[in-house]
Amino acid sequence: MTRLALERVTFRYPATEAPALLDVSLEVTGGEVVALVGSIGAGASTLLLVAADLAPRVVGGRLEGRVAFDGEGVRGIVLPTPWTQLSGMAFTVWDEVAFGPANLGLARDEITRRVDRAIARLGIEGLVSREPTTLSGGELQRVIIAGILAMQPGLLLLDEPTAELDPIGARSLWELVRALAREGTAILVATSDLDALPAVADRVAWLDRGRLQAIGSADLLGSEALVAASLGPTVANVWHGARLPSPYPVSVAQALQRWEQR
Amino acid sequence: MTRLHPFTLLAIAAALPALAWILPAPAGGLAMAVVALALALTTGVFRTAVFTAAPFWLFLLLLHDVPTTVAIGLRITTMVSSFVWVVAALPPPRLVEAMVAAGWSASAAYVFAATLSAVPVLRARAGRIADAQRCRGLSPRGGPVQRLRALRALATPLILSALHEVDERALALETRRLVPGTRRTPLAPPSDHAVERVTRWALAAACAAALAWRLR
Repeated sequence: MTRLALERVTFRYPATEAPALLDVSLEVTGGEVVALVGSIGAGASTLLLVAADLAPRVVGGRLEGRVAFDGEGVRGIVLPTPWTQLSGMAFTVWDEVAFGPANLGLARDEITRRVDRAIARLGIEGLVSREPTTLSGGELQRVIIAGILAMQPGLLLLDEPTAELDPIGARSLWELVRALAREGTAILVATSDLDALPAVADRVAWLDRGRLQAIGSADLLGSEALVAASLGPTVANVWHGARLPSPYPVSVAQALQRWEQR
Repeated sequence: MTRLHPFTLLAIAAALPALAWILPAPAGGLAMAVVALALALTTGVFRTAVFTAAPFWLFLLLLHDVPTTVAIGLRITTMVSSFVWVVAALPPPRLVEAMVAAGWSASAAYVFAATLSAVPVLRARAGRIADAQRCRGLSPRGGPVQRLRALRALATPLILSALHEVDERALALETRRLVPGTRRTPLAPPSDHAVERVTRWALAAACAAALAWRLR
């Protein structure tokens, strides 16, 4: 079932004529992970803000086209700078994670249940008593994600969610993303962690200067065009560098299989 | 003192400057300034209060005679010390919890509390910017011109970064449903004893009585 639908969306930031998004149409269904890839300035972050109903409502600007959300749960967005996402109103990590659920007006028992579950899923039980401002970037990132998960979003929007995480933390996060999708959450993620996408994304959408250039399965990452735009995973780049024929493999397993078939 | 209900702390911080301005100078101002500075001393912000109030005395002395400077200076010292004390004694999260428990909307409570939390946040950020500028060879020492140049190099990024962060913070708060009209669930509302409620009313009554006496 379609959770989010963008129909011919064009968006311009305030006081600019050049559109940050141009005629973009995209659907995300419950249980699906759609990854947005593109160079800096491609419009991925803007698309997430539009999907989160923050642009133009909060950031200003002009929107053309239609954005439809089915209203199942809330829309939660995780921005790439965790230190600006702290509420500033929490003594402890537990309180920080509870900030969103408390604002939903839930009963305290329900808040406690949700917060404890989100904390466990992010593996931050050891941080619950810490003051949020004393955390490292990676710890903070996981706390912010837990805060959004505790609100039980029907649509989860992630903007560079692994930017502050170490490789183990990033792998855990991607496993969590897949687990959330299995539970029915619709997930739209903008990331430059291209190597992780073949195992995480059901579909990949390529944005370039605000336009949706292509959308398809994760194998799209191995296309000539994306590899030429430096948007292919490492294994595809190696294959390309070795002047082996396209489409390029997007995972090591796929590369091995192709190599054996040569 | 920091365990008092947030409304009691605010009532004290508001009553001291009010009484300092209402009661006859310089005795009234002196008495309130002594109390406010004593409170600042108990929370370890005495030096901050004194150093923040000192420039006001200098400007007053340039503009007025000594009796007027003392009269106004003591009142301003009370205001500054009370504010510095309440910022140190009252963590904004406790204030939000108290306001929400009292029926305020969460966003209104947040705006009020953010005013208190802005001071330490900006001070910490200013420290980081000053360190970064020093790494780039900027020296805050030297003559007035050099110090003014250093001040500009500190103030410009401080203001710009604060404005930028306001944008991102607004997005983050919005997505976590801190929106106008939110009826937030208080997680740990501070206890409000009858003695404290009486104290707050007594402070308000004292201000009103002092005003009536002065207007007589």
